Amino acid sequence: MSVATARKLEAGAARGLLRRVPEAVSIRLASLVVLAVAWQAASILFTERFVPGPASTFAALWDLARGGELIKHFGVTMARMLASFAAAMLVGMVIGTAMGLYRRAEQSLDMWVMVGLTIPGLCYIIVSFMWLGLNDRAAVLAITWATFPAIAINVWQGVKAIDPRLIDMARVFGASAWRRTTRVVVPQVLPYLMAAARFGLGIIWKVTVLVELLGRSDGIGYMLNYSFQMFDMADVFAWTIFFTLVMLAIELAILKPIERRLFMWRPEIRA
Amino acid sequence: MADIEVRRLSKVYRSRAHPDGLLALDGIDLAVADHQFVCLLGPSGCGKSTVLNVLCGLDPQYAGEVRVAGRVVSRANGHPFRVGYVFQEPRLLPWLTVRRNVEFALQSEGIAKSEWRARCDGWLGRVGLADFAEAHPHELSGGMQQRTAIARAFAVDPEILLMDEPFSGLDELTARTMRELLLSIWLETKKTVIFVTHNCFEACFLADRIVVFTARPGRIKREVTIELPRPRNYEDARLFELSVSVTHHVTGTTARGTRLPD
Repeated sequence: MSVATARKLEAGAARGLLRRVPEAVSIRLASLVVLAVAWQAASILFTERFVPGPASTFAALWDLARGGELIKHFGVTMARMLASFAAAMLVGMVIGTAMGLYRRAEQSLDMWVMVGLTIPGLCYIIVSFMWLGLNDRAAVLAITWATFPAIAINVWQGVKAIDPRLIDMARVFGASAWRRTTRVVVPQVLPYLMAAARFGLGIIWKVTVLVELLGRSDGIGYMLNYSFQMFDMADVFAWTIFFTLVMLAIELAILKPIERRLFMWRPEIRA
Repeated sequence: MADIEVRRLSKVYRSRAHPDGLLALDGIDLAVADHQFVCLLGPSGCGKSTVLNVLCGLDPQYAGEVRVAGRVVSRANGHPFRVGYVFQEPRLLPWLTVRRNVEFALQSEGIAKSEWRARCDGWLGRVGLADFAEAHPHELSGGMQQRTAIARAFAVDPEILLMDEPFSGLDELTARTMRELLLSIWLETKKTVIFVTHNCFEACFLADRIVVFTARPGRIKREVTIELPRPRNYEDARLFELSVSVTHHVTGTTARGTRLPD
């Protein structure tokens, strides 16, 4: 759900127009029901062996949870993701800021971050494993490497979009350099940082699973591959569903609320 | 409040387009007494705004001597006096409410927090925005945003007030109301004001004194003292005549089209 819709809903509720809220919710619920029915139908049509139905998928998920595998592999994957995310944000912010501030940095790097963005994640993964061996250092290196160009590009755009006239305004009224930075520059860059984090997370999910499939013996990617080897379709579905739920939870419980708090003032999101 | 003294102020801009430097201001002498309302009038690109940037300390690289209330304006001196500045655009921080925008300036100027509420309410009320204190800038019209900027400039209780074509981005009807508002506030506070404009009528309506600039490089071409009584009235016939003669000083022609001697 976009912030715009969320705000519309709030406004509607405030005005007592309750019929708009159930409509938006009921459409989503309806789409969920249709999806579940289609899933079940496909499962009957193509047999449970190829398309496990919702019941058997969630049963498999329950088994994984009870056996402790779910939490173990999820934890490992999350740790790799968070470490790489932090590293990629750091590297991306340093490079993006330098490109935004200095013309020479921009001219010498702009092509290479674009190139970095287009090289398939698989290449970074293979090279990292060949350099450092099949270990977690290589995993974090590969994920960071595949992710930071997208972050750098967003930060670069953000730094370039800073309005120097607002900085001048603050300076005229006597704001210290620290105050100009924290109260005038950072708020202008924040939307771009959020976008950078979004892009970064989107890439990180995909690369991490691939890394685990290729060179690690734990994590969700590894377990997906294991289920593939066993031709256990219910487990493949279970891991995929679980992954999707976790992503949704991060989006709805962390990213959206942060965004809403930070950007309440923005007309383009509001309207 | 403070007097302003500018002696032999020159400014050269260096850029890639002008590696030898572009002379923007050439030996400006300007003295402004306390409580005076002075308009700098001239064609665009004549360096009027540069004078403001030097006075407020934004542009410390100049030749000559600039003093405000006896204190030299320079990079080393930092921020030696309180300035109120109204820019051509409102220059509000879009993520802050109207009140928080005014408070941003108050806090930047080091004004005690206990005074913020009274000052914000007082000035927002004075410019007619009492009901919009908690609104964000994008919810306001252009005129209301510029009112916020005026409230912000007066709220810091500046020693000098600098205004850089503050009404040129507004439609003429809004600009008229804003000029009247500005004059009535000025009559109450009697701040020292330097107001940059290229609008002759506006200059005659507002100023005690008009300083006419030549086109680049900016030099002072002539000074005109406006002795119309205050409060002034848009309908005043003398105002119209004055603005016609000032226009001729700016363009350098008479009503019949012959050139005036400089």
